[in-house]
Amino acid sequence: MQSNSPGQVSLPGAVAAPKLSPHLSIKGLGLKRNDRWLFRNLNWEVPRGSVVAVVGPSGVGKSSLLNCLAGLTTPTEGELTFSCNAGCLHEASGYQKRVGIVFQNLLLSPNSSVLRNVLCGRLGRYPWWQTLFHFPRADKQEAALLLADLGLAAHLHRRAADTSGGEQQRAAVARALFQEPELLLADEPVSNLDAYLCEHVLGILRHEAHDKQRTVFCVLHDPALLERFADYALSLDPMNPEKWRIRVIHAASLN
Amino acid sequence: MRPPSTEPPRQPPGRIDVPPIALKWHEHFGVLNISLLLFLFAIVSSAGVLRGSGRDLDYLANIRGFLGTFFPPDLSVTGRTLIGLWETIQIAVMATAFAIVASVPIAIAGAQTLSPRWLVFITRLLMNGIRTVPSLIWALLAVAIVGPNPLAGVIGLTFYSVGYLGKFFSDAFESVDVEVARALRALGARTIQAFQYGLWPHAKPLVWSYSLWMLEYNIRSAAIVGIVGAGGVGLQLHTYQEYYQWDKFATVLLYMFLLVSALDLLGERVRKKIVRKAVATNPC
Repeated sequence: MQSNSPGQVSLPGAVAAPKLSPHLSIKGLGLKRNDRWLFRNLNWEVPRGSVVAVVGPSGVGKSSLLNCLAGLTTPTEGELTFSCNAGCLHEASGYQKRVGIVFQNLLLSPNSSVLRNVLCGRLGRYPWWQTLFHFPRADKQEAALLLADLGLAAHLHRRAADTSGGEQQRAAVARALFQEPELLLADEPVSNLDAYLCEHVLGILRHEAHDKQRTVFCVLHDPALLERFADYALSLDPMNPEKWRIRVIHAASLN
Repeated sequence: MRPPSTEPPRQPPGRIDVPPIALKWHEHFGVLNISLLLFLFAIVSSAGVLRGSGRDLDYLANIRGFLGTFFPPDLSVTGRTLIGLWETIQIAVMATAFAIVASVPIAIAGAQTLSPRWLVFITRLLMNGIRTVPSLIWALLAVAIVGPNPLAGVIGLTFYSVGYLGKFFSDAFESVDVEVARALRALGARTIQAFQYGLWPHAKPLVWSYSLWMLEYNIRSAAIVGIVGAGGVGLQLHTYQEYYQWDKFATVLLYMFLLVSALDLLGERVRKKIVRKAVATNPC
């Protein structure tokens, strides 16, 4: 663990939970798309607070796997059990509120400001009439801080469509982080960023995972980044859907 | 063109087959040409209406005589006309406001991307029905119900505007990519929140631009509905016409012309500015 001071752990449940208790248990997961298995018989107890890099060539089913974990796609077979930080067990559909997603195509609202887009990450916390006119002040300040940390302080009130691709990508990451999810699914969150920002964003994700006991699944292509930031690499094989592989990279740091 | 290498060559090399240049006779008949032909046919069969009354009238002298009564316009009624025009604008503003409020939910029900098919079908049918009845007839109905006053104008124009705005707003909602709203749903937002934060920001410029157009249109229509007694400057027009006071009539027309041209110039510019931003937006 990188954090030594207990004050940095924000969730009360995280302290009580044993460090290596599985966050997510995947049993016999398989997904068939157009009569072709993308992956099959995927079994893994994912340790809480780890960074998992999902790797494999294009079209192998990385995004589909993340969609399954997010509860957006129903897997053809197998089951997922989430144990939330408070200790109860959920199926994918019941866990959706605690999952944060960075979509591959971002899906920001182009005519809204960057700040508002990030605030949207917390829509699920409030009933609709509370967000009808504005978000709570504390939320706005927190979102602004988060955006400043990602180097977007100057763009808070610009329309998302008027910002560059890299800025939009960071805004999308910020929106997912702002949800304070227990499970963060990021589909190529750094594809449009330069080397410095890549490391910064991945560093934030790693910090989220290790210090706040959030499990991060991240589609990554760069092997160098993978070695530095991931604890596990889950690789999917395009030829054989049952030949997925889990490689331990940094598991030592978890203990 | 040479055939792809996988196929055996159909002709000796060095000779190129000329593809047939002339179209077959039926290949000329696309929808465009067929409708053009039908229109030509319609022209021929409609020529009868040009016959007129059949009496020997001196058209030019009639024009001169009639327009002569318009000049010079009697500007002494300027005050009354401006008051009438103000009432006309008030009628249009109220009708447009009611129509906008009523049209948003109707438009959601009529948008194919947001509602089940049966609801879309019923809503569109209803809106088509509303649009079929001219604003003058709606005003006539309203006069029969609430009596000859500006309220009748407001009611009549509201109905008519809902028919248009409902359709326009539906189109605006349909033109917006619903993926963002779906993404927000996946992040935990409720349906109304997903609509408000994912879809509305993108549809808003279009919706507002259509609303401004409707306001413009309603100011023009509101001048007419007065003729059936629904308030506004139209009532004045009707009175002057009844008493053959064409010089005063001309004054009213003059001010209406000024108002409508000003609106046209202004509205066009504002709407262009609003929509340009919305249309130029790339998905992100």
